[in-house]
Order: sequence, then structure tokens, then C-alpha cells
Amino acid sequence: MTRPFLRRPEALLGGAILLALILIAGLAPLIAPGDPLAIAGRPLIPPFTDAGLPLGTDRLGRDLLAELIHGARTSVAVGLSAALVAVFAGMTVGTAAGFAGGAIEAALMRIVDAFQIVPGFLLALAFVSVMGPSLWVVVLAIALGAWTGPARLARARVLSLRESDFVAAAKVMGMSPAEIAFRQIMPLALPPVLAVASVIVAAAVLTEAALSFLGLGDPNSVTWGAMIAEGRNQLRSAAYLSIIPGIALVLTVISTYLVGEALTDSLTGRDKR
Amino acid sequence: MFATISRRGVLTGTAALLASTALPRLALAQGGGRLIVAADSEPRQLNPAIVASNGVFFISSKVIEPLAEASYDAGGLKPLLATGWEGSEDGLSITFALREGVSWHDGTPFTSADVAFSAMEVWKPLQNIGRSLFANLETVETPDPLTAIFRFSKPTPLQLIANALPVVSSVLPKHVYEGSDIAENPANRALIGTGPFKWGDYRPGEYYLLTRNDSYWGEGLPHLDDIVFRVLPDRAAAASSLEAGEVHLAAFSSVPLADLDRIAKVPGLSVVTRGYEALTYQLTVEINHRTGILSDLKVRQAIAHAIDKDFVLDTIFLGYAEKATGPVPANDPTFYTPDVTTYPFDIAAAKDLLDEAGYREGPGGTRFSLRLLPAPYFAETRQFGDYLRQALAAIGIDAQIVPHDAAGHIKAVYTDHAFDLAIAPTVFRADPAISTTILVRSGQPDGVPFSNQGGYANPDLDALIDEALVTLDPGKRVALYKDFQRMVTADLPLINVADWSFTSVVADSVTGVATNPRWVVSNWAETGLSE
Repeated sequence: MTRPFLRRPEALLGGAILLALILIAGLAPLIAPGDPLAIAGRPLIPPFTDAGLPLGTDRLGRDLLAELIHGARTSVAVGLSAALVAVFAGMTVGTAAGFAGGAIEAALMRIVDAFQIVPGFLLALAFVSVMGPSLWVVVLAIALGAWTGPARLARARVLSLRESDFVAAAKVMGMSPAEIAFRQIMPLALPPVLAVASVIVAAAVLTEAALSFLGLGDPNSVTWGAMIAEGRNQLRSAAYLSIIPGIALVLTVISTYLVGEALTDSLTGRDKR
Repeated sequence: MFATISRRGVLTGTAALLASTALPRLALAQGGGRLIVAADSEPRQLNPAIVASNGVFFISSKVIEPLAEASYDAGGLKPLLATGWEGSEDGLSITFALREGVSWHDGTPFTSADVAFSAMEVWKPLQNIGRSLFANLETVETPDPLTAIFRFSKPTPLQLIANALPVVSSVLPKHVYEGSDIAENPANRALIGTGPFKWGDYRPGEYYLLTRNDSYWGEGLPHLDDIVFRVLPDRAAAASSLEAGEVHLAAFSSVPLADLDRIAKVPGLSVVTRGYEALTYQLTVEINHRTGILSDLKVRQAIAHAIDKDFVLDTIFLGYAEKATGPVPANDPTFYTPDVTTYPFDIAAAKDLLDEAGYREGPGGTRFSLRLLPAPYFAETRQFGDYLRQALAAIGIDAQIVPHDAAGHIKAVYTDHAFDLAIAPTVFRADPAISTTILVRSGQPDGVPFSNQGGYANPDLDALIDEALVTLDPGKRVALYKDFQRMVTADLPLINVADWSFTSVVADSVTGVATNPRWVVSNWAETGLSE
């Protein structure tokens, strides 16, 4: 017996954190108005010592809380967009390959293999180095390494679905192959891919942070990775500069992962206990 | 009984083993010692006669020597390969007397032919600084093996050439380079010179090894047995290696400024700020005058007024810098003048200037947008980029930071001119004619790094620079360069923000530290290790 999604404790915990995060990201301009990179006070105020600047300030005197809130925006935006692009691209290619079969399938799946053997992070690194860092390049770069998972899953699911009776019925009714593939089969192949999507979101948030850490993020927007990288120079004297965005990153990834886990269990009917 | 293995037994055994491996190294250190230095970059081209830059000198100056080195003594120069120099009255020739009894690392004797070859075949046609400095050099005569006479087509001030000697005059062995493609010669990777240290080994990503030159011309020199430059690109790693005693010296501020206070308190380590006086960097805002908005003097003045230099010194340089008043740093003993136009931090004045120039605040308080390219080579230039973006936002200028890696930045700014404002660490090298006037003189070919690539052209300033270049009388030269500073600060072809020199963190066992104003990039013959 599977419990519904919302009765799982991990779903509640993860969902609550994730919801709060999305709210913070969405309402960032209201919670922390103005330019988050503006110089707000004395540099290097430690956290919890100044009521006006609760998390303190960084090396240049920028408000750490404002940076954190606006950084959530970047993380959530990049995480969700990259997952969306990856799932969309993966589903399309996977469904086409699974439904068409033969030479087309072989060709498409070899392309998937080619992308899969290159480590996703290296691919993203190379892509951003060539294209120059901006938010959308980073999203594409991350999706580039993440779409192969959904593609393989979708293909596997389509392979079993295309022999079903309703597909034969659709053929008899005279539907075109493309219509059958994308309107009849793809929606049914979606659930397992959606379950993987949450893992892609978590990975995308991490990849984005790693890219920014290496200086390949968009320097005109705040990102947690760049905050950690900036703080690293002061790690011995002002460790909070790296630790605070680090905690934010950990919470985001864990909550996304918990939601994904719960989603997988309830969608696939798998229950460990 | 003896078969039982106790934890204590194993520990003492291990300790004894460790001690026995450490012993020979300690014994060796008492002889002359191995100095281990943190190196934060690995220059691709190591030949100092071709690339006269501090990153190259840091390693290669120990192997290949110039004619003279900078000195704290009166006159400012210490003879190395040249023992004396004298200019003719008409300024058309300079005669160098060369040191006797010097030989190259491969045993061949050093003669005036090597100097003539280096000057005519390397410094003048190939070297980044020599190309302009020796543009009027016609021939180098070698009447005997220990005399070299430089003949110029136009009067050339001895003061300028002498000031430039430590930077431009690295002498290469003629017998190694003659008849080959000098830029591609294998000796550029395994250097051959006359210096106190010979080329040892290079492992990319690991270390450079230089070993003692036993037949060095200096009596009883060098003191060290060898020098290892350990490649430590991570600045935090340099600090912890010093604390662990794995490295004796980290130069060029490779320990982050924020860590210096803490490091200074570590027993056995000291922070040294001397030894960089002749290589003062300036934090400079380069301006692209092709951008219509920036060709308006009022806009440039507004930008200058928007920069809070006190804030920059306190938060970015943590006090290890001085406010710059103009293109010559205040620590220069000869040419500096404080009597120039200054731009105090004044946001209201900056906004008024922009209003007067006709750039009124649009919706959201923004007047116009600019591309800002901070040079990626130093943490300070990148941080100043972040600061300048905010400082400009405060007066209604929206500056978008365009990031590049080092090679990309040089191409974008100096070749493609794809910038509006750039932040550069320009270097003042003892004389404005060496690497400073080139920053504002018009007519620089595209692609020359650290030159005027902002399209600035001011005929009056050009005339002044040209006149100073052929003025022989030192007093008149100095007066002309003081006018030069006044003109630059009045018309702002670029904005000088801070005079900035470096810090070294040195283990107390190192002796002979900071003995000249270019110590870090000098030959270290007098540097040693004490126990």
C-alpha cells in the first residue's frame, strides 16, 4: 500500500523548506529591496551583532542577508529552468527514439551515449568558457549534461508502451505516428521522468554553485557559489562568509532531494517500509 | 616478550624513522640551504629579455642578469654586468664598461658581443618595453670585449636609460641564440645566463628548481645552494604552507591581505613591505574614449568624484596602499608632484557634473549603462571592479561587469577595444618614459597590452611626451614630467586610484631580504638561510 505523497514526513519537511525557498526567491525584491550588491555598512560585520544587518556584511560591506535572498533567486531560477530544459529535451528525444525504433533510435541513442560519457560538469565548464557567462548560458550548460537521464528513461518507458492495445487502437483510428508518440504515449512516460527531475534540480543547483565558485557565473547577479568563493579568501578570519551560503546550499539540495524521494516513492508505488 | 607489538613501540619506532629521514636534510640546510618559495603562476615565456614583466623576472632574474640592478643607495643603481656607464654630451651615445671575468653557465666567457647582440636582436625588436625605449638605437659598437657603445639616432637621456636598466637590459648569450628563432629557442625554457643560479628543472604544476652557480663572478656568492619555486596557485594554500614551514617565502601579496594580520602573529614569520619600491603598481581605471559618453570630460570627472579612495584603501587594500594623485606614484623620489588636479569623493558634485553634461536620471535613477572589465590577474582588481560597479550605481551609472580570463581580458581590452571602463594594474618603473607615458600617448598599434588602447588622443600631451623623451637635462626632464602629471589629472585620459605595492611573508630564517627596491625580482645572490 502506498501512502499519498503529502502524508510522507520527508515530503512535508522537504516541501516546506522548498516552498519557503521559492517564496523567498519570488518575493526577493520585496523582502530585500534595492540592489543586493549595494554597500550597506562597514565591511566584515560578524553575523548576529547588528540588528539592521542580521547576517553581517562581506568584505566590501554588502548585506549578507540581502545577498543570500537574491542568491536564492538565482539558484531556484537556474535549478528549475535547467531541469525544465533537460526534461523537455530528454523526453522529446527519448520518446522519438523509443517510438521510431530502428536506425533513428540507434542514431539518437548513440548521441545520448556521447553526451553521457562526458562528465556533466566538464561539459558545462567547457560550454560556459566558450559562450561567456550569463544566466541563460549557465542554464543551457547544465541542461546539456542532464538531459540524457530523462531521454533514456523516456525511451525505456515508450518501448513498453508502444506495444499496448491503445496504441494499436490509435493506429487503427488513423492517427499519425507523431501524434501517437507525443500525444498518446509521452504523457504516460512522464511520471518516472518527473521523479528524476527533482534530482536534476538538486544537481543543477549544485552545478550552478560550482560554476560560480570557479568564477564562471554571471558576475552581475548574486549567486551562492560566488559568495562562497569570495569568502574563501577570508576563510580563516571570517569563516561565516562561506558557511552561511554553504548552509543555504545544503538546505536547498537536501529539501529538493527529499521531495524527489517522496515523489518517486508515491509515483512508482515503491515503499521501503 | 619481544614479539608483542605495543602501540607505544610502534609510535617511537615510526618517530625514529621519521627523524632519521629528516636528519640529512637538516644537515644540508646548514651549508647553504634550499630556499623554498611559493609561486602563484607559471609564465609560459620565461625569457626576461623578451618579456620584461615581474611574473617572468620573479623566476628568471636569478639566472639571467641585467647590466645593473636598482639600489637603495644614492644614484639608485648597483652595477651588475656593467661596471660603469657614461653618456655623451649630445645624448647620441652611451658607453658601458662591462665586468671582467664573467662567464655564461655553459662556460663561454661573457663579452660585449653578447650585449650588442641582446640589444640589437632582442631588446629593440622583440621586448615589450625595449621596443619603444630603444626605438632610436641605431648600432651597438664593441671596440673591445669589455666596452659596448650604444649609438642613438636622436638624443636619448642617460637618466632614462639608466633608470630602465634593471628592467630592460637582461643579457642573453649570443652563442646560444645567434642564427636561431629567438622567440622559439629552447633556451627560453631552460635558461642560460650569468646569474648566481643555474637552471635546474621544471615540472609543470609542481616546481621550478634553480641550483647554485659555483663559478659566479660575485666573491663568495650566492649564499644559497638552491631555490625551489613551488607552484601554489591557491592563495589560501600559500598561507598554510608558510605556517606549516613548508615554504620560506611568499611574495607579491600571495598571502591574502585579509590573512596578513593573523600571519604576522605566527612565530617565525614576518610580513615585509619593503623590496617593492621600484615596482609600484597603480590601480587604474582605463577609459575607452571611443564611447561617446566617456569622451566628455565632465563624465570622466564625475566618475573620478564617485570613487571613495579612502574606502578603497581601507576595505580592498586593508591599508597596504596609498591614494594615487596621478600617473606617478607618491613614493617615487624623483618625478612625483602632489601639485595636480584632485577629485575628492563627492557624490553630489559627480551628479551635478553628469546633469551638466546632459545625462539626466532616467526612470529608476539610471542615466546610462557601461561595460566594466576588471583585470582578472589580482584579487584587488576584481574586488575594485565590484566596488566601482556600486560606486557608479550611486551616481546613476549602470555598470555591467564583463568577466574574462587573463588572455580573454587582454584581447578584449587591448585588441578588440570591447570595453567602456577597464580596471588595470599598471606598473610604474622608476621613470615615466618606461611604462607610464605609453598609457596615454596616442598612436599605439592595436594589441599592445598596457598601452593607450582607449583611443585617447591629445596633441598637447603627445608633444609634451615627445619633448621629454629627447630632453637630456635631468632637471628639465623632471619639470616636463611634472607638467605631464598635471595634464593627465586635468584631462583624465585614465583615472589613477591607488598606489599599491606588495607584501612578502618571509620566514625569519631567511637572511638578506628586501635588500634593494626590486628585491623580489632581483638575483638573490645575497639571500641566505640561517638556522
